[in-house]
Amino acid sequence: MNTIQHLSTEAPSVLGGHRLLKSSSCSYFVTTAHGFLLARRMLSGISQPEKYRRILVNSYNRKQSNSSNTTVKTSTKLPSVDHLTPSDAPSVSNAEGREDAASSSQWKERKDDGVDVRAGFSSGKDKKPALLTDSFEYFAFLRRLKRTAEKLLSSFPLAIAELAIIGALCAVGTLIEQGQSREFYLQKYSEDWAFGLFNGEWVLNLCLDHVYTAPYFLGLLALLAASLIACTSSRQIPLVKIARRWRFVNSGASISKLDFHETLPHARLADLAVLLAGDKYQVFMRGPSLYAFKGLAGRFAPIGVHAALLLIMGGATYSAIGGYHGTIMVPQGLNFMVGEAMYPAGFLSQPPDSFDTEVHINKFTIETYPNGEVSQFRTDLSLFNLRGQEVSRKVISVNDPLRYGGFTMYQTDWGISTIQIHVDGEGPFNLVAAPLQTGDNKLFGTFLPIGDNGLAGAKGISMLARDLQSVVIYDSNGAFAGVRRSGSEKPITVDGVTIIIDDIIGSTGLEMKLDPGVPIVYAGFAALMLTTVLSYLCHLQVWALQVDDSLVVGAKSNRNRAEFAEDLGKLLNFVPEIVRDRSMENIAPIISSTNEELSMQGTSAKMDNESSRS
Amino acid sequence: MIYLYVEQIFVYISFLILFLVTLLNLINFFFEIDKINHFSNNGMKFAFLCTTGFLTTRFFQTQHLPLGNLYESLMFLSWGFSFLYLISNVKNKKRLSAPVLATSALLVHAFAVLSLPHKMRESMSLVPALQSQWLMMHVSTTLISYATLLFGSLLAIVLLSIFHGEIKRYCVGNLTNNFEFRNKNYPLISKNFPKQIITESFSYSLFLNSRKCQLIHLLDKWTYQAISLGFSFLTIGIISGAVWANEAWGSYWSWDPKETWALITWLIYAIYLHIRINKKWMGKGSAMAASMGFFLVWICFLGVNLLGVGLHNYG
Repeated sequence: MNTIQHLSTEAPSVLGGHRLLKSSSCSYFVTTAHGFLLARRMLSGISQPEKYRRILVNSYNRKQSNSSNTTVKTSTKLPSVDHLTPSDAPSVSNAEGREDAASSSQWKERKDDGVDVRAGFSSGKDKKPALLTDSFEYFAFLRRLKRTAEKLLSSFPLAIAELAIIGALCAVGTLIEQGQSREFYLQKYSEDWAFGLFNGEWVLNLCLDHVYTAPYFLGLLALLAASLIACTSSRQIPLVKIARRWRFVNSGASISKLDFHETLPHARLADLAVLLAGDKYQVFMRGPSLYAFKGLAGRFAPIGVHAALLLIMGGATYSAIGGYHGTIMVPQGLNFMVGEAMYPAGFLSQPPDSFDTEVHINKFTIETYPNGEVSQFRTDLSLFNLRGQEVSRKVISVNDPLRYGGFTMYQTDWGISTIQIHVDGEGPFNLVAAPLQTGDNKLFGTFLPIGDNGLAGAKGISMLARDLQSVVIYDSNGAFAGVRRSGSEKPITVDGVTIIIDDIIGSTGLEMKLDPGVPIVYAGFAALMLTTVLSYLCHLQVWALQVDDSLVVGAKSNRNRAEFAEDLGKLLNFVPEIVRDRSMENIAPIISSTNEELSMQGTSAKMDNESSRS
Repeated sequence: MIYLYVEQIFVYISFLILFLVTLLNLINFFFEIDKINHFSNNGMKFAFLCTTGFLTTRFFQTQHLPLGNLYESLMFLSWGFSFLYLISNVKNKKRLSAPVLATSALLVHAFAVLSLPHKMRESMSLVPALQSQWLMMHVSTTLISYATLLFGSLLAIVLLSIFHGEIKRYCVGNLTNNFEFRNKNYPLISKNFPKQIITESFSYSLFLNSRKCQLIHLLDKWTYQAISLGFSFLTIGIISGAVWANEAWGSYWSWDPKETWALITWLIYAIYLHIRINKKWMGKGSAMAASMGFFLVWICFLGVNLLGVGLHNYG
């Protein structure tokens, strides 16, 4: 009685259904404020793909029917719509109608497939005490919300649009120089392009100076990630389930619905099985029907591609919010503490203990080729812990970083810190060099004041250096005075002062990084490489049914491979046609219709390559 | 010095042979003379050997794979095209890809030989940033991917330019006699399912076997195969570049222009592969995406070098 009561409460009849839903939707407007989804559902009649719902319902039903077998009698009561009369329409006061599986659209479409939805839900409601019904409905509601979101996010044009817009924004980021100062953009785009619609102001307003970290770009990436998740869970995984589930058709009509199908007269199933096995299919036979497939990896690989992309994006996000990075330019011979040079990248950064290490630059050298071009930058580093013990020592170069305690130190830059000179026999003096030109052609300069004109009118000798080897000297009037190599001990007299260039002391530019997301990203990279290659495998499925004397063969591939049809056709050409020769029946009894033999087989056996053809 | 002479010999001989092979292929394409196939295949084999000789000479001269500057990259690309020519020769004899590939190889070769100044053609020693084992894997896979992707995109451009008004959905994809004219196009047919389907498929099968439809189908098939191969290589190339960057400089992605344009190329070919699945946009949409990919690959390869900024501006 109780169950039937619930039945009529939940099952909306054609006549009373809308009223029920409307009232329930009103209550939901009040209670949860997500009524717009319900209304939309009602109005547009969205319903999930038949197969997907049936799978879900099947699995749910199996679970429920396993757990409760007392209310089975309700299944017999589950009729088509005709059985419900207006008198069965529920009272509005008790309208807590569960939307899930109780909507009118599902009710109408539900065919007579024996799926017992009502029994499942009603028995579930029976078992649970009244307190939990709210949470149960809440979960059901969440599930439906998730399905709607999936349906929206996995839409195909959306995916294409996302990819295209992300590509276009990336292109914009290369055309407009990123990361410069505000004045740079105002000056560079000072003329109004596009009739005043686009100028430096707009560049800054639209965040085009840092496109790759702009909120809309990151939002698009997040949307892409959401679409990937939705597509994988709502389209690909059910397809995999269906592809693995659909076996052993028993009627020729369903085979005829496939893309590729043929009827072979006077053919035997066993011959086809042998041929397929020889072509690397996995063949299963049961009675008169056969199922063979090949390349199942081709079904899983696209899921793998999406999963790998999500891994990469997740790892990059983790790096962006949980790492440390820092750059420092250290003159040769000085120290620095690692922790002082590192800045956290985001809110998840946790400093490790190895940040208490002191780094000492022993030596910085620039190696050159015979023609003078730079061949390598090398820095000799020693790491000391808090007690002063040397824990690590390495000579790093550009492609060869130092890894210690989770962080990595890279050689990325260099400079000149001081020029050491003797002046008139006194010294050595360290003159600090300033960068006059940065980038690829560095130029450093320093200044030796002569006389006593104060700061404003200081006159002196200028020295310029491009590398660690030689210094160009100019006198107080700016005229070129000479070139000296460092360490050559050759004096030069400029403006009455004798200078000996002792040494040019370089400084090394180090970049330090602590990147926790790198293992995740590397895993994603490896998975992406592998699955991209694998996803070109076609998943081919062949069904065959022995119908009297002839063989109905159907096939399906998931990659639209046209060659597949040709190849299968060629394979089918090899299936022998058995000609019943009455005169030879006594001599060669093997060549006869083998339907009886096949039906005696009965069990599903996996064929291997060694089966011989008769 | 001897290296220089040997290189020059290889380069000029291969240039000449490529020129002849291209001529022969184009003549064959229009006039279908059988003997030409034989000559052009052998000629291409010889040109391939000459280009390989050039690359090997460079390797012996500089002790690293010849991929350091623009000249060597272009020669490698031309080598890639001739390699593809020989591969597609194995698969089928009578083909459309031959003139396309031969012309591409010739044009890239010509650009490298004729229009780059002499200074750029010398083998230079590597800057510190390039002295790494990763150089071989990253640059070679990326260049091979460029070659295959350019080939596929060229075929898509051919498809679009010849058949732009007439690509029908059913010419691409499954080219079998029985396919679905079901409820999407003819919702009322389901009652007369067996009878009308046979009529429909009969009349359409005549069309399907027509030369035009076969040509469209072939072009689409070759585009798909070339681009899918190139896409795998491009993925491997981008990822190896990212791993190299991380090992050398600490960040696997720094939005360098060349990196970004490689990513954009990757995205457009991902769009191509996805459009191909959709039944509505299959024929024409995918060809348009692949055609756009052609220009993007060139921007990625040569265009960003002109910008002058970033890690990749040495070529």
